[in-house]
Amino acid sequence: MNRSEPVSVLDGERKEKIKDIVCDILEIEPAEVTETSMFKEDHDADSLRAIEILAALERTFDIVIDQAELSRMENLQGVYAVVDEALEA
Amino acid sequence: METARRVVITGLGAVTSIGLGVEAFAAGLREGRSGVRPITAFDTAGFAHANGCEVTDFVPEEWIERTDPAELGRASRFSVAAARMALRDARLTDADVRGRASLVSMGTTDGESRDLDDLVAAQVERGSEHVDPALARRIGAGRLSSGIVAELGLTDVEAVTIPTACAAGNYAVGYGFDAVRCGDVDLALCGGADALCRKTFTGFYRLGTIAPDACRPFDRGRQGILTGEGAGVLVMESLGSALARGARIYAEVLGYGLACDAFHPVAPDRDGITRCIRLAHRNAGVRPEDVDLISAHGTGTKANDVTESGAIRQVFGESPPPTVSIKAMIGHTMGAASALSSAACALAIDQGFIPPTINHTEFDPECGLDCVPNEARVADLRIVQNNALAFGGNNAVILFGRYQER
Repeated sequence: MNRSEPVSVLDGERKEKIKDIVCDILEIEPAEVTETSMFKEDHDADSLRAIEILAALERTFDIVIDQAELSRMENLQGVYAVVDEALEA
Repeated sequence: METARRVVITGLGAVTSIGLGVEAFAAGLREGRSGVRPITAFDTAGFAHANGCEVTDFVPEEWIERTDPAELGRASRFSVAAARMALRDARLTDADVRGRASLVSMGTTDGESRDLDDLVAAQVERGSEHVDPALARRIGAGRLSSGIVAELGLTDVEAVTIPTACAAGNYAVGYGFDAVRCGDVDLALCGGADALCRKTFTGFYRLGTIAPDACRPFDRGRQGILTGEGAGVLVMESLGSALARGARIYAEVLGYGLACDAFHPVAPDRDGITRCIRLAHRNAGVRPEDVDLISAHGTGTKANDVTESGAIRQVFGESPPPTVSIKAMIGHTMGAASALSSAACALAIDQGFIPPTINHTEFDPECGLDCVPNEARVADLRIVQNNALAFGGNNAVILFGRYQER
């Protein structure tokens, strides 16, 4: 979960973009979400919202994210890590 | 209930990837034929895998007599053709149908979404002014049933298209059953139709539910569905009408149950399915131990098959009857699925065999069902149950029986 720190290709702008996407899909205000607040437990997300987030990230960043990664995309920190890896791939 | 009439199936029409017409469909079921092939309906570039069960040898002019096929979308062509096949099979002329109070009910998941694919593509690529009016005119899902009415020139008729997704075929058959049973109509043409389209494939692909190669219901290694297409139509009439004209009777419709649990947008709910099966049994006057075969919804996804099996065991105990899924052969034909499996149930009862669940390699103890793997089985079937489960927990179960004089 701390993979995004040392070798990250994610800059602040991309992180903001990711946060916007997540907030838009979960229908929450950016102030409500933290890097570690849980989409499902804290923000009422379900599996369909998770797939929406995955699809939006793929389109926005022109990347491919394996569906198996959904289990890691449980909060912003997890999403940053998954997108980071996909961008480097 | 003294006026309740018995309802029998006297004709079948089937447009499927394993055969056109009832004889070819029945032969395909018996042989365990597979309709799987790479999808050609749309450009599949960008998908890691894109197999489907497409109908490739369908020529609308060979079946449709009065309507210009250009005025019908692909699903409506299937619908009208299947109705034509069913009437021919029932040995009913257009005049016979016109002379009776009748009902046409067709179920669908996507209506004419193939045309919608094309319309949206034109709009996105070239702008709204380039949308083809001929396509726009034919996209209404109501055309699936009204197309049959127009083809046959019916006037004393109710036409309804029931859009309850993957359980829609059973909904449509149940609707017609009620109308014949209570005497509102003497004849009902009921079933379902859908055409393979990019939207549906992409949706299921996105959900991670499309199998990479083949559909393996109740198999330990199952990986999902394959999208399919086609139409199934049943001719149903009152027993009195069938006997009076000396019609061949495939099977009797005993009753059905509908139950929407609205538990989750896409995940099936075991208890909701159980409730629907029990409602169907009560409506049909059938006990679980009377059922000789279950034609399952059996999509081949991890979630469906284990959940449906759980519901079946809740109702039937530890030794349920053989439970098969013809989706292994014809794919998931969406709104046509339970109409085609209704036709398969009627054929199984009439011809004394159980269609196999093909592509089977490994028994899944979590499902724990006898899915009649790979080879059809000779069987004396008196009562057969047809499950249909849709997104939203919108479920419909029908019971069919061998026709016997009382």
